[in-house]
Amino acid sequence: MAAPTTPPEQPTRSWTPFYVLLGVIALLGLGLIAAQLVRHRARPATEPVPGLQGPAAAEAEGLGIAMGRPDAPVVLYEFADFQCPGCAAWAAFMTPVIKERLVDTGRLRYVYFDFPLVSIHRHAFLAARAGRCAHEQGRFWPYHDVLYGRQREWADERDPTDRFVEYARLVGLDAGGFERCLRSDRYAAEVTRSLRFGESLGVDRTPTIFLNGRKLTDLPTYSQLEALVREASGGRSPADTGAAARR
Amino acid sequence: MTRVVRARMAIAVLALVGALVSLYLTFYKLGWVGSLACGPGGGCAVVQSSPYAVFLGVPVPLWGLLGYLALLGLALYGLRPGGLARPAVGWLLLGWAALAAMFTAYLSYLEAFVIRAWCRWCLVSAGLVVAIAWAAWMGRPRERQR
Repeated sequence: MAAPTTPPEQPTRSWTPFYVLLGVIALLGLGLIAAQLVRHRARPATEPVPGLQGPAAAEAEGLGIAMGRPDAPVVLYEFADFQCPGCAAWAAFMTPVIKERLVDTGRLRYVYFDFPLVSIHRHAFLAARAGRCAHEQGRFWPYHDVLYGRQREWADERDPTDRFVEYARLVGLDAGGFERCLRSDRYAAEVTRSLRFGESLGVDRTPTIFLNGRKLTDLPTYSQLEALVREASGGRSPADTGAAARR
Repeated sequence: MTRVVRARMAIAVLALVGALVSLYLTFYKLGWVGSLACGPGGGCAVVQSSPYAVFLGVPVPLWGLLGYLALLGLALYGLRPGGLARPAVGWLLLGWAALAAMFTAYLSYLEAFVIRAWCRWCLVSAGLVVAIAWAAWMGRPRERQR
């Protein structure tokens, strides 16, 4: 057995302060994590955003790309960036369910706003313009799904223009017209206005969701969102609003 | 208080903080805390949603948690009379800390050049690993003076 290289500590030494320090750090850390867990499980808090009330909302509609009935009782605004992985997750897991259960049943109008985070996503602005070029041909939402679904494919490319044209072909767009649109400066002003509009509302990350003019401080799960929609539409059940939508 | 005791106390405190950071990041990866968003402080979303956030089928933060807990346990054992008497404990701490530093260097390389996004909590963890490695080096077993 190897000889000890370090003499043992004196038995009189008190270790209590050291263990108390470890205990305090552990309790403090676990408390902070527990607070985060509780905050996440709670229903998302909402903040009123004056900029989105009244006439401003109508103006906002002009900047966004909408789906759903114009007179739906609840309006959802999404500020998103095609190159953001969080937005891709939202587009994959939330948007289709929201469309099927809330938009198609007439309970919700969904409006998409470009908020390209150009400082961290070099192709975000071009992708936003590509989305608008697809919108010009009435195929924004299928194109939106492909851009997000294949985000990993184009995000690291030096120049994804050709890839975007290929996606246009894939969703049945007139590829020539799309390419002419994309290779021009068309919709640069609209995307910029959408970005500035988001900034004026305090958007600083994507995706950011507003429900009837209120900013959700945390991204909701679908059940949380449905509860908020139910509350915002005056507690009407899906059957009621769905029937109203069909009338 | 000897150099070895000071070093092991420092390692225990730093490893405990690291374990808490890793626990938070594990919960983040599982979607139990935080939100998957891009923007200020949103680098964690990019990093944690990348394919590099899983190593050998296990989320990287969980590897970190296990690594820090091992360091914490080893440092606490090394502060007991039995642990202080065994040079192997000092070498194990140094070896484990070196392994953690190499893995951290690999993860930082991925953040800088592959994922091209920085998660601030990963940076905190990297700082802790460097401090632990330094403490383990300072508290390494040395020949007893004759």
